[in-house]
Amino acid sequence: MKQDSIITKITKNTYLRFVLFGLIISMIPVLTGGGILKTSWLGIIGGTIIYTIAALGLNLLLGYSGLISLGTAGFMGLGAYISAYVTGNLGLPWEVGILAAVIIPVIFGILIGLASLRMEGLYLGIVTLCVAEVLRKTFDELEPLTGGFSGKSAEYPTLLGIFKLNQGTTFVLLCVVLVLMMILTYHLANGQLGRALNAMRGSNVAAQAMGVSLLKYRLIAFALATGYASLAGALYAHFVKFVYPSTWNLPLSLVILAIVVIGGLRSIYGTFIGALIVYALPDLVLKRIPIIGDINGLSYVFSGVLIILVVLFYPGGCVKVFSDVKLLLQKLFKRKVKKNV
Amino acid sequence: MSEQAILTPSLNENEILRVENLSMHFGGLKAVEKLSFSINEHEIFGLIGPNGAGKTTVFNCITQFYKPSEGRVLFLTKQGLTENLVGQKVHNIIRKGLVRTFQNVELVSELSLLDNVLVGGHIDFKSSGFSQALRLPKARKEEKAMREKAERVLNFMGIDHMKDALAGGQPYGVRKKVEMARTLMCEPKLIILDEPAAGLNDVETQQLAETIREVRDTYNCTILLVEHDMRLVMGICDRICAISFGKFLACDTPERIQRNSLVQEAYLGEKEG
Repeated sequence: MKQDSIITKITKNTYLRFVLFGLIISMIPVLTGGGILKTSWLGIIGGTIIYTIAALGLNLLLGYSGLISLGTAGFMGLGAYISAYVTGNLGLPWEVGILAAVIIPVIFGILIGLASLRMEGLYLGIVTLCVAEVLRKTFDELEPLTGGFSGKSAEYPTLLGIFKLNQGTTFVLLCVVLVLMMILTYHLANGQLGRALNAMRGSNVAAQAMGVSLLKYRLIAFALATGYASLAGALYAHFVKFVYPSTWNLPLSLVILAIVVIGGLRSIYGTFIGALIVYALPDLVLKRIPIIGDINGLSYVFSGVLIILVVLFYPGGCVKVFSDVKLLLQKLFKRKVKKNV
Repeated sequence: MSEQAILTPSLNENEILRVENLSMHFGGLKAVEKLSFSINEHEIFGLIGPNGAGKTTVFNCITQFYKPSEGRVLFLTKQGLTENLVGQKVHNIIRKGLVRTFQNVELVSELSLLDNVLVGGHIDFKSSGFSQALRLPKARKEEKAMREKAERVLNFMGIDHMKDALAGGQPYGVRKKVEMARTLMCEPKLIILDEPAAGLNDVETQQLAETIREVRDTYNCTILLVEHDMRLVMGICDRICAISFGKFLACDTPERIQRNSLVQEAYLGEKEG
């Protein structure tokens, strides 16, 4: 009985739930180390975490304020290169690298936010796409800083200059950052900011009448989205240990968009589930299927079809599956109880 | 702009809002032409006119969604200053104590009723973005206090039992109530209602009249409304201003407005012969 009450306590408290979630996924290095899971899981789930962080930012932008960005990949790349440059070439600590890798892209993001005041929908998508392409081309050409086509390498982080991490412990670091970002997102989304962004999505006019400054909140929304994306990029650089310019292309931005839509707009856990489905599932499952698994670009076909299905039949996103299944079970259970009576 | 307004405070005693020579031109179309009227504190004031008379345009000029071509809108703000609203930022108008509703209820469908009402409290959050992002004790306390306030407002409107329901699925009458509750969050001095009775049935309209009076008395504010439902307007307004084609016709008590020949002409057409 007592154990039960502790479990319900944990599942009821939002923060403990986030921490529990982080603990569970940070068990993966232990499992791969023990030989229960294949070592490739570490890289795949690590990538999923990184994509989740970027997608959380896009979810704040797209889900809450209703503004679109197709430039996520460009900002992830920018973050990755800055962090790799600051730690590698300048020899500064990892923490400084991350900080620089977030602050500089955020300034870019604010500039796009300024532009977003003058356009909506498709046009905003085109502009953000252009910015990302310009960034990608810059990564190609700016060889002294980025290493050009041959890419740029980075090291696993050394925390506080003392703790040198390896792949497994970097993975745990990713989990910690993910949980922190989830909590931050939860705070932002469920407070004054989240409501202001929601009001903007609902109606610009009504939001203004309630005292929400469109300029201020659009800038904040874009700054947050680019901040999350560049943080994800910087983590990528230190987890994959290599930054290559062609990674940061349009398909990556679309994958992040797919994660948000498939996982569930305005849902924090949904974003992680979306990342699992879009990024991890093709690698872990689809590619193992004979014949079909050999098709090139299968994962894009998979997520494309899923987007269509979700938008048409399941607008709440895959995260809704859980609450729907719960409802269904409750119904079935009730029916059984009635029959028994 | 505000400096100039402070230099020339010219509201009479008891007046809360005065529209002076207001004109709004869209290209060659003169939607509002040299309109003047004033509203006293604690009054329920109606603005009426046939379709296309420019009533909503007047509202939008007062709340600065449109920038008037000419004229002044003087307002006695919450802070006790007389200011000209013309030229001020749209999102700053609510800070002066002037808040509005919309003709086609503008709520966020995906938010609960309570959260929708909390949007109305946006300007009253004092804690910094930083402390909100980390949910420091101060921000937490503030959020809790605002939630309680929103619940009180919903309770006042008689819909607190459904505070957690999503706004999207609610019937029109409830959505209208939520919108009015939202305006009450900022403790306004003047509430502008744009066709509050549109889409309501007779019973609901009667209840609305009751609610509007209660709002004025409980929250000690002034109400300006545009409305087509003449029974409602004549029933609750202390004074009415009638306009037609953007021009002033008359401003008087409901009884006198009904007998005014200019108003009758505007609504029913000229007498023959």
